[in-house]
Amino acid sequence: MRKLGIAIISAALLAAAPAFAQKTTLVVGMGSADAGKLDPHIASTTPDKGLLSWMFNGLVRIRPGKISPEFIEPDLAESWTSNPAGTEWTFKIRRGVQCHYGYGEYTAEDAVYSIKRASNKATSSYSNDFSAVDKVEAIDKYTLKITLKNPVAGFLGYVANVNGGNQVCKKAVEEMGDNFSKKPIGTGPFMFAEYQPQQFVKLVANKQYFRGAPQIQEIIYRYVPADSSRDLAFQAGELDMIYGKQDQTWMDRTAKLPGVKVLAMEPGEESVLSLNITVKPLDDIRVRQAIAYAIDRKAIVAFKGAGSSREAVSVVPSGYLGTDEKAPLYPYDPVKAKALLAEAGYPNGVTIKAIHTTLTGMQTLIEAVQAQLKKVGINLDIELVEHATFHAQIRKDLSPIVHYQAARFPVADVYLTQFFDSASIVGTPTAVTNFSHCNVADAEIRAARVETDPVKQKALWNTAQEKIIKAVCGVPIYEQLQLWAWTDKLDLGYELQGSLNLSPPITEKTHFVK
Amino acid sequence: MTAFVVRRLAFACVTLFAVLTLVFVLVRIVPGDPAQLILGDQASREAIESLRHRLGLDLPIGEQYAVFLSGALRGDWGVSMVTGQPVIREVLRVLPWTIELTVVSLILGILLGVPAGVYAAIHRNRLVDYAVRISSLLGLSFPPFVAAIVLLLAFAIALPWFPVISAQSGSFAAWYRSITLPAVSLGLISAAYITRVTRSAMLEVLSEDYVRTARAKGVPWNAVIWRHALRNALIPIITVVGLYLGILIGNSVLTEIVFSRPGLGKLLIGALNQRDYPMLQGMMVIYTLVVVLVNLLTDLTYGFVDPRVKLK
Repeated sequence: MRKLGIAIISAALLAAAPAFAQKTTLVVGMGSADAGKLDPHIASTTPDKGLLSWMFNGLVRIRPGKISPEFIEPDLAESWTSNPAGTEWTFKIRRGVQCHYGYGEYTAEDAVYSIKRASNKATSSYSNDFSAVDKVEAIDKYTLKITLKNPVAGFLGYVANVNGGNQVCKKAVEEMGDNFSKKPIGTGPFMFAEYQPQQFVKLVANKQYFRGAPQIQEIIYRYVPADSSRDLAFQAGELDMIYGKQDQTWMDRTAKLPGVKVLAMEPGEESVLSLNITVKPLDDIRVRQAIAYAIDRKAIVAFKGAGSSREAVSVVPSGYLGTDEKAPLYPYDPVKAKALLAEAGYPNGVTIKAIHTTLTGMQTLIEAVQAQLKKVGINLDIELVEHATFHAQIRKDLSPIVHYQAARFPVADVYLTQFFDSASIVGTPTAVTNFSHCNVADAEIRAARVETDPVKQKALWNTAQEKIIKAVCGVPIYEQLQLWAWTDKLDLGYELQGSLNLSPPITEKTHFVK
Repeated sequence: MTAFVVRRLAFACVTLFAVLTLVFVLVRIVPGDPAQLILGDQASREAIESLRHRLGLDLPIGEQYAVFLSGALRGDWGVSMVTGQPVIREVLRVLPWTIELTVVSLILGILLGVPAGVYAAIHRNRLVDYAVRISSLLGLSFPPFVAAIVLLLAFAIALPWFPVISAQSGSFAAWYRSITLPAVSLGLISAAYITRVTRSAMLEVLSEDYVRTARAKGVPWNAVIWRHALRNALIPIITVVGLYLGILIGNSVLTEIVFSRPGLGKLLIGALNQRDYPMLQGMMVIYTLVVVLVNLLTDLTYGFVDPRVKLK
C-alpha cells in the first residue's frame, strides 16, 4: 500500500514538475511553423538566416552586436589587402579551422568553392552580390585572391558572415549534394545536430571552434508560430529567448515581466510606398507629390510605437553607408497636397488601387496610410491578398502603388540598385524589386557603385537620393526595428545593437549567469 | 462484406483521381511563384528561372500532369519543392501526431458527450437537461483557438501543471503532459456536438413502444437505457462521430498552432503559403484516403451495431 502511495505521488510529481531550462542549453522560440531551406546561399527568411548564422563564418565578420561595415573584423580571413584601385583583394586564411563533423580543414580552396557557389546565377539567391567578381583563385593553401571587374562599394561586406559571404566546406557540399540543406556543414561555433519537422532544430557546440569552445553546449531552436503561445512559453520558462510579436504593445507588455530583457534591434526594415510612374494617374508628378505631402511620418511612428520604430529619413534606410540622413523629403502638408491634386485635374479627389499583403504588421501600416490619404481626397482602394499572391502580383505590375518593407546590406548601393535602378524594373529580364519603374538616378547610382573616392561616392549617392525623392518614385514612411526578448540570466557576451542576420548572434562567449 | 469493402475501395480510387486532378490544376492557377518564394526577394531573375526549370514548372500544365501521373503510378509522389524530401515521407512523419490528437480528442468527446446526452435525455426539461444543453451550446460556439489559449492560461501558466509547448515525447509522462491540454481543447468541442446528437437520438428512441414494453416487463431502468435504448440510438451518433473524425483530421490546425504541435493542418498551411505543389497534391491524396477510410469504417460499424443493416 505504501509502495503504491509512493508510486502515485512520484507519478503526480513527475507529471507536475515544470521543465527547467538547463544552464548550458539555450532554447530559442521563433515565430515560424517550420524550417525552410537551411542553405546559407539560399535562405532568405528571418528564421532560417538567424539559425544559419550560428553555424557559419564569413571571410570577415561584422563585430557581433553591430550592423555597420565600419565594424568589420577578421573571421576566417585573418588579414587582407587590396590594390589601390580596389579591384584585387587578397585574403590570408586562418590556419587550423576545422569544418564540422570531420570534413577537414577549411582552406583557400573551400573559400574559392564557396564564393563560386554563392555567385552561381542558377542556384544562389545572392548571385547579384557577386556580379562584379571576375576571378576567384587559391594562390596557395591559405591565400585567396578575388579579382573584380570594377571596384565595388563596400565589397568586404559581401564576403562577411551574411548571405552569400557565408563560407561552406567544399568536401561537405560535394558529398552531400541536395542533402546539404538538411544538414548544413560550416565552421561556426555551433553544429547542426537534429531536426524534428515542425518542432525544432538542435545545434550542439563545436568544441573545435577556432575562437574557443562555446560555453553554451546546445541550442534548441523551437518553431512556435503562434505569438501568444510564444509569449506564454517564455513566461513559463520553456523558452530563454524569443522573437517577439513585432508590435509596440508586445514590447511594453514584455518589458514589464520580471527578469526579462527586451530590445528593438537593428536593422530597421524600411517601409517605402513605391509609385508606378508610368500609369495614370501616377504618371503626373503632381499626383505623386500630393501623395508625398499627405503622409505624416511623425503620426505613423506615434501610431506604430516610438520604442520599436522610427521615421524614415530617405529612400534608403537610415544608418547605411551612403544614406543621406538629411535628405530633402516632402514635409507633411495636406493643404498643399489638395492644391496639387486640384492642379492636376482632380479637385474632387482620385481613386488609386493598391494590392497589399495580409501580413499583419504591414497591413496596419497601409490602413494608416489610407486614412492619411483620405484626408486629402485620395481614395486608396486596397485589395488584400495573401502574402505569396502579393509577391507574385506586384512583380507583374498589377499594383500601381506597392508598399514594400525591407532591409538590405547596409550600403546605399544595394537598396538603390534593387529598388530604384531602371535595370531592376519588374517584368524585365534583369528584374529585382523596382516597382516604381524609376529611372531618374541611374547615372548616379552606377557611377557611385564603382567610385573609389569615398567623398565623391557619398556625393553621388546623395544626388541619387535627392533625384529619386524629388521625382517621387517612392515615398519613404518609417522603419520597423526587430523585436526580441530574452531572460536576463543569459549573457550574450557582447553588447547587442543589431545583427544583419536579423537574430541576436550566439557566440562562443554567450553563457548563462547564475 | 468483402465484396462491399472492395467495391467501396474501387470507388475510392475514382474519387482520389478526381480530387487529385482538381487540386493539381487549381494550385497552378492560383497566383504565386514557388521558385520566387523559395529563393527570396533578392534573387536574380536568372536564379528564379533556373529553379523553375529544375522544378519542371516551365512545362505546359498538361505535360506537368503527365509527368506527375506517371510518377504517381510508380509510387513516386514527388519531392517537396521547399525541403527536397519525398512528399509521402514528410506527411507520414507528422501524420501520427495528428491521428493521435484526433483519436484522443474524439475518445474524450465520446466519454463526455454520450453520457451527458443520455443523462439530458432521461431528465428531459429538468435542470440537468438545461445545464447540459447550455454547456454544449457554449462548446459549439467557442472557437478552438480561444479554448486553447484559455486552457493554457489556466493550466500552464496560472497552475503550472502542463507545458505550453505541447510536443514532448520520450516517456509516458511526457506524452501524457503533451496530449492532455490539446485533446481537452478539441475534446470539449467534439463533446458538445456528440452530446446534442446523443440527446436527440435518445429522446426519439425513448418514446418508442419497445422501451415502454421493456419497462412494463420489469426490466431494470439502467438496462433499458444502456442496453436497449442506447444501442438503437447509436446509428446517428456513429454518423456524427465518423463525420467529425474526418473533419478533425483537417481542422485541428488552429489547435496545432496554439499548442505548437506538429500536424497535417500546419503542413498544409505551410505548403499553401509556399505554393509547394507536390506537397499539396500529396496531402490531398492522404486526406481523401483518410476520409474514404473513415466513411468505410463508419459504414462497417453500422453493420456491426445494427443487424438489420446488410452491407452489400
